[in-house]
Amino acid sequence: MHNPFDEPAVPAAGNPFAPPTGDPQREAVLFSGRGAEYFGIWIVNLALTVLTLGIYSAWAKVRRLQYFYRHTTLGGGAFDYHGDPRAILKGRVIGFLLLLAYNLSFQYSPLAGMLVAVMLAAVMPELLRRSLRFRAHNTSWRGLRFAFDGDTKGAYSVFLKWPLITVVSLYLLGPLWHQRLKQYQFDCARYGDTRFAIDAPVASFYKVYGLALLVVLLGIAGIVALLWPLAAADPAVFVFLPLLLIALALLVQPYLAARLQNLVWNHVRLGAHRFESTVSARRLYVITLTNLLGIVFTLGLFMPFAAIRVSRYRLGCVTLLCAGPLDDFVAGLSADAAATGEGAADLFDVDIAL
Amino acid sequence: MSTSLSEPAPSVAALYFDGRSARAHPATLTLRGHDLHLNATDLSRIDALSTVRLSEPMGQAARIITYEDGAHVEVRDHAALAVLLAASGQRDSAVVRWAFQPRAVLAMLAGLLCALWFAWQFGLPWAARLAAPHVPDEVVTALSQQTLAWVDGGVMTASTLDAQRQQALRDALAAMVRSGGLPAHALIFRSGGAIGANAFALPDGTLIVTDQLVALAGSDDEVLAVLLHELGHVRSRHGMRMLLQGSVSALFMAWYLGDVSSLLAMAPTALIQAGYSRDMEREADDFAARMLRRQGLAPALLADMLEKLAGAHDTGDRASGSLPAWLSSHPDTSERIAHLRSGDFMLN
Repeated sequence: MHNPFDEPAVPAAGNPFAPPTGDPQREAVLFSGRGAEYFGIWIVNLALTVLTLGIYSAWAKVRRLQYFYRHTTLGGGAFDYHGDPRAILKGRVIGFLLLLAYNLSFQYSPLAGMLVAVMLAAVMPELLRRSLRFRAHNTSWRGLRFAFDGDTKGAYSVFLKWPLITVVSLYLLGPLWHQRLKQYQFDCARYGDTRFAIDAPVASFYKVYGLALLVVLLGIAGIVALLWPLAAADPAVFVFLPLLLIALALLVQPYLAARLQNLVWNHVRLGAHRFESTVSARRLYVITLTNLLGIVFTLGLFMPFAAIRVSRYRLGCVTLLCAGPLDDFVAGLSADAAATGEGAADLFDVDIAL
Repeated sequence: MSTSLSEPAPSVAALYFDGRSARAHPATLTLRGHDLHLNATDLSRIDALSTVRLSEPMGQAARIITYEDGAHVEVRDHAALAVLLAASGQRDSAVVRWAFQPRAVLAMLAGLLCALWFAWQFGLPWAARLAAPHVPDEVVTALSQQTLAWVDGGVMTASTLDAQRQQALRDALAAMVRSGGLPAHALIFRSGGAIGANAFALPDGTLIVTDQLVALAGSDDEVLAVLLHELGHVRSRHGMRMLLQGSVSALFMAWYLGDVSSLLAMAPTALIQAGYSRDMEREADDFAARMLRRQGLAPALLADMLEKLAGAHDTGDRASGSLPAWLSSHPDTSERIAHLRSGDFMLN
């Protein structure tokens, strides 16, 4: 609830269009979504999705994203989502068929399975590129659309070449892949005609992942040290092993999420503007853990509240450091940057979180 | 709800964006008749109400009025907007009203739970019954082979029953089946290990019997009674139906919990996939009883065998970690035994 940047941002929010002063003006990202409110949208979405055997899920996704986007405010202007549910439905049908083909082909023969797997690997990068484009083109702020113009070659590099290299290198080059992925995502993104850019160094990715790996190794060592003496007395204690490993994963996941968000957004530029992200791993850990308990004890009904809590904290930790007035962004020369949103219908929304 | 001339037209403070630059124009919206007037310091526009689009209400979030040319206004003064909307006669769509009225939300929740219960109890079994015959034979065979490979990969070991006894049972079953017009089957024997006395059918007609079950049976007829029960499952495609039901349930759970934690999605599906339903057991019992009577044997043979199996698993060493699988999926064994022995069964 408490955003440390609420206070300095208040005078700015009063007049976000004031001419720039010497220091960069701080514009906090504000998230005003409320769990009780989102619960209504969530339950109606769920009911209609079940009753329509999943078809409504595309419309549900649009309403969900619209709720989160419109409750996110930066410099007095709200974000908005314009995705066409029919395009999303098309993407979901394609995704479902690909998954089905992948699962069924292995039942027939390993050869057919391998064939489908190779085919999937060949089309996946292009689908992911289109989904990045779809998401960016359908996001707007202050009347201007975001855009993504990454090329197919780049998509095959970060979604096919680098994953293969990562596996071959026994995941030693994983952090390098992550850095290349973020470069592809941000260096090819625009807001209006202003380009995004990222300069996060590889070393920082290695530091974050290295520390996470260290915690995992120490955790496993701790679990073994704990269970080994007990196992001598009663081998049944090993049933606790999966539980302890899940607890370890829960410990590391918020740390990675927090550090990676800070790493990425503290190195992203939009034109001359910069961002600041100050997510605390400890706070995120507390939120994640309480969310999980809430979800377990309400059989999932706490999920909408959990989603709001995470979004409020993670978005509230981001601040835009404006180098100049926000009014100066102009739409890109291409027509699709304007808020008309044509051409989106032929794009697939695969919706794979990155 | 027309506005009289003496009343001032309702007006709302808003931010206008032209869609070509990020510049915000503080503006005022006014409704005059069927036209929406927008006034800012250096621009103004008049649009027919029918040409603009209003976003649905979402709590304190700005409501967005979108013009045909891509420009939009953001309104955060919800009270003033409500007055303007009342004057225009605008009404939210049903989906929107449902989401923000506590009573409608509770009704939705109750309706959803009812719908899910009905779907799980009746809809899913019905759909699986319709779909099971259309599963290609290759898939049925492949699935059965996988299960057999899993069974042979450590759950059970090779049978120690002598080959002559095996062949005698095979021949006896084949003779019964030949006269009954039954699905193709293959009878194989395994040593049950921790599972103990048990018999089960794979969807492709492979019947697996443990040595322990053969030893437990007083006669070959009792073994055959159990095998006919298992063939009843094969004939009605119970295995395939349970698999389809389990897959759909798993898919639903993965989707429901998917956006928060895929870890949690694994647990419930394991519970859902446990064994045949009560109706399926009853159907297989009835089938076995019919087949036994056709051979001049008593349905009570199956009842005797059920009793012995229940007894064997009851006294079995539970601490060894063996799950009484036969019992866990056959919760109403005594009821079934009584039914098989009852006289009214003969009327069926």
